[in-house]
Amino acid sequence: MLKPLALAAFLTASLSAQPSTRAQEIEQERDKKTVLLKPEVVAKPEGFLRNFKDKRYLERFGSGYKGFRPKLGNMVVGSGFAFGPEYYREDIRNGEITFRASAQTSARGYLKLATEVTLPRLASSRINLDLRAAHRNYGAIDYYGPGPDSAETGRSNYRLEDTTVETVLTLKPSRHVRLGPSFAYLNINVGPGTRSPRFISADKQFPNVPGMQQQTDFLRTGVYAQFDYRDNPLGPKNGGNYVMNYSWFNDQRLNQFNFRRMDIDLQQYIGFFNRTRVIALRAKAVFTETDRGDQVPFYLQPFLGGANDLRGYRNFRFSDRNMILFNAEYRWEIFAGLDGAIFADAGKVSPRRGLTNFKDLESSVGFGLRFNVRNSTFMRIDTAFSQEGLRLWFQFNDIFRQRKFGTTTGQPIY
Amino acid sequence: MTKSLLVLILAASALSARKFYDDDPLLVEPKPRPVLKAENRKLSDIYDLFAHQFGPPGEHQPQKGESIRARAVNTLGDPMEGVWWEKRHYFKPMSREDLIRGANYAPAPATGKLTITGAKNEGITPGFVVVDSRKQTYFVKFDPLSNPEMATAADSISARFFHALGYHTPANYLIEFTIDDFEIPPGVTLADSTGRTREFTRRDLRELLLRVPKNREGKFRATASASLPGKTIGPPRWFGTRSDDVNDIVPHEHRRDLRGLHVVDAWLNHDDSRAINNVDILSKEGGVQHVRHFQLDFGSTLGSATQKANSPRAGVYFFSWKESAKLLFSLGVYVPYWALAHYPKLPSVGRFEWETFRPDRWVPEYPNPAFQNRLPDDEFWAAKQIMAFTDEDIKTIVSTGKFSDPKAADWVAECLSKRRDKIGQTYFAKVLPLDQFSIVDNSLTWVDLGKKHNMHAPASIKLQWSNFNNETGQKTALTGLTQNMIPGARDSYFVAELVDPTRPQQTISVYVRQLAGQPVIVGIERAW
Repeated sequence: MLKPLALAAFLTASLSAQPSTRAQEIEQERDKKTVLLKPEVVAKPEGFLRNFKDKRYLERFGSGYKGFRPKLGNMVVGSGFAFGPEYYREDIRNGEITFRASAQTSARGYLKLATEVTLPRLASSRINLDLRAAHRNYGAIDYYGPGPDSAETGRSNYRLEDTTVETVLTLKPSRHVRLGPSFAYLNINVGPGTRSPRFISADKQFPNVPGMQQQTDFLRTGVYAQFDYRDNPLGPKNGGNYVMNYSWFNDQRLNQFNFRRMDIDLQQYIGFFNRTRVIALRAKAVFTETDRGDQVPFYLQPFLGGANDLRGYRNFRFSDRNMILFNAEYRWEIFAGLDGAIFADAGKVSPRRGLTNFKDLESSVGFGLRFNVRNSTFMRIDTAFSQEGLRLWFQFNDIFRQRKFGTTTGQPIY
Repeated sequence: MTKSLLVLILAASALSARKFYDDDPLLVEPKPRPVLKAENRKLSDIYDLFAHQFGPPGEHQPQKGESIRARAVNTLGDPMEGVWWEKRHYFKPMSREDLIRGANYAPAPATGKLTITGAKNEGITPGFVVVDSRKQTYFVKFDPLSNPEMATAADSISARFFHALGYHTPANYLIEFTIDDFEIPPGVTLADSTGRTREFTRRDLRELLLRVPKNREGKFRATASASLPGKTIGPPRWFGTRSDDVNDIVPHEHRRDLRGLHVVDAWLNHDDSRAINNVDILSKEGGVQHVRHFQLDFGSTLGSATQKANSPRAGVYFFSWKESAKLLFSLGVYVPYWALAHYPKLPSVGRFEWETFRPDRWVPEYPNPAFQNRLPDDEFWAAKQIMAFTDEDIKTIVSTGKFSDPKAADWVAECLSKRRDKIGQTYFAKVLPLDQFSIVDNSLTWVDLGKKHNMHAPASIKLQWSNFNNETGQKTALTGLTQNMIPGARDSYFVAELVDPTRPQQTISVYVRQLAGQPVIVGIERAW
């Protein structure tokens, strides 16, 4: 008996619930929603990501606590993972002065201390003044001996310890042009490499190369100029970037190592198919010259080989007084955050400028992936092949990335 | 006894299966109920992107079986006017002045000083919140240095198209000013690149404006978007409903006004139509506090991506497995169609074109459940409205972009006209493009939109009247009644089945109610 009664009750409810108008039907839906109303919330992962962005945790982490923050990477190739504290302020005198000081060590025990004061807003930001000082102690920089025919088996290593004080003035007369002078004092010391006995120390392997036994201090003056019309310097798809840097190195103590060095870096980007394909070309050259009787110390000679130039070879594989390098990359967009690349590198070092030609170039070819955020490459993986085998590189930079003028362009190891 | 009751229940269900109510077609949503409490709920743009890209939320069309038809529509197939959408240009042709005016709940900024109350220094282009002398708040946004006039023009133009298409939009105005037109009261802060906030100074203003292009008169140009009247409670999602809004009863992925928005976004190249570019506003109208849904942020439409020219990838997803695999393994030899598009060198336009545009393959930056659920009748609903813009209407609205280069204005107008035509050709082919049904002299009439817009050959329509039982849904053909004249029986329902023999799958059923000798069209159903 109960069953039919329940059914009857349901029927009554059903009948009474039948809307007689469309508006009533909608109101009934609203009635149903009324009992389900609750505050709008986001899922926990979404809330976390939202707060992470809104509260600028990334920026805060990057800016640190009261100016103190971690500094990762940015040491010489082969140093291993580098880390350390940095004190950074960009709000001094309301942004007119930025200051940074850092101390880093690396997995291989390398040390780098650096400080920098920048005045970025002189003359309505048309002039930039950098004052820098750095001390580096790199325990085991690879060295294979001078010349294009150095043997892979000749791998040795040396300690590079230097202290640099420099100032760089940058003038920006127009949107695409930068130029200016730089002045620096360099105190350089080299010693036995710390990777002995696995690799022989360079002072034993190459005792007679210039600068191995005696080091000196340098006063370096330089001028540089840049014409940069790349569409996006952080991830160029079109345009060019042409840089020339000329430096005079004056030996302050021994008067044996006076020389002049010219760095040329020409980059051209040719985008097509709406810039989803790019041919990126680079020609790079370093020439040094001395007066009679002077020499260029080996640690200030250009190097070739490694993740940023001749990718089929080990870091610092070739070294001599002059160097030319050519890179060509074909890059194609796979999706907005990833590009593929096929590349070819060729280059050589030579003891005399007259031998700097296209004969007997060392070469490598390979392929890679470029991971991008906001049209800027933040990581790349390159696999390169050469007559000395296969090299796999994981790098957190663009292959053609430009270093700051001054210390880093006037000296081969940064 | 039980059996009898079951029969009664079945009868009751049959009663509830009644197709038309007396108040059909309902043209306007019932008055919204009060929303007493709705808090601001921000979304994470990153989460929103990944959630849509890799786990499409919401209810999707079934792989097999009957499709889920759009809801939140009346029996004529149009959304009811209300908090999401209103009938505008297609239904009630707007004057030139109305098209230019767009949304008008707030006037353009008053002449005189604008007081900065907030500043943003994120991204490449800066932005301010300002108050004019009438205490009206505006959000001020600029063009990037690389593309003067581009984002501001796109914002101005698209806001007016969206408005004319019936969506709720902010009132956006183009303004020109010098740095002296701004005042900075004490207490205004700016977040710097380290995430810390500090006092916003005149020097900051000068430096921010260094990243803004000046025109020939040395003035800056910006979009001033009037603040929406009410309280911002965050963007509506493209799926589900707001759990705190009693009036939001239809999952957004099934709303016709949102499904059809795909066609509108494709037309205007609004590929950045992520959830965060909409907003819900809690406001009081007619004494009732309720939620109104707005489209906003049109700076990334046409050829603009706000901070730069739009990516040539506009119209494809950020990421798709299939496309990426093809590009990866072909070493780039495979060239997608969008990479071959040609764009004229017009910095104030960015990247906008019509030749490679195909409305049915265009997609926004991420998979949008409402767009994915769209059916041909949703597309037709939007397409018919877009087709209502004449070339002259388009030029009129494009003129609100105030391009200093006439070539830019001409190109945008040309692209919009050509893209409009492609929309008509595409979507008028999917359903019978007959609309604007009416009864004149007791005869059923309609407009063949395909013919009207020279899209297709005029349809040669065959018509068959049937009796329609509103309670059971049963149709009984009325032999011999194949003319447009409405059958004469009183207090009955009839249905006219319209078919073009050349497109036999595409039919339209027009339901007519004869009540006291007054025939009324109560329903339109399209099949394809």
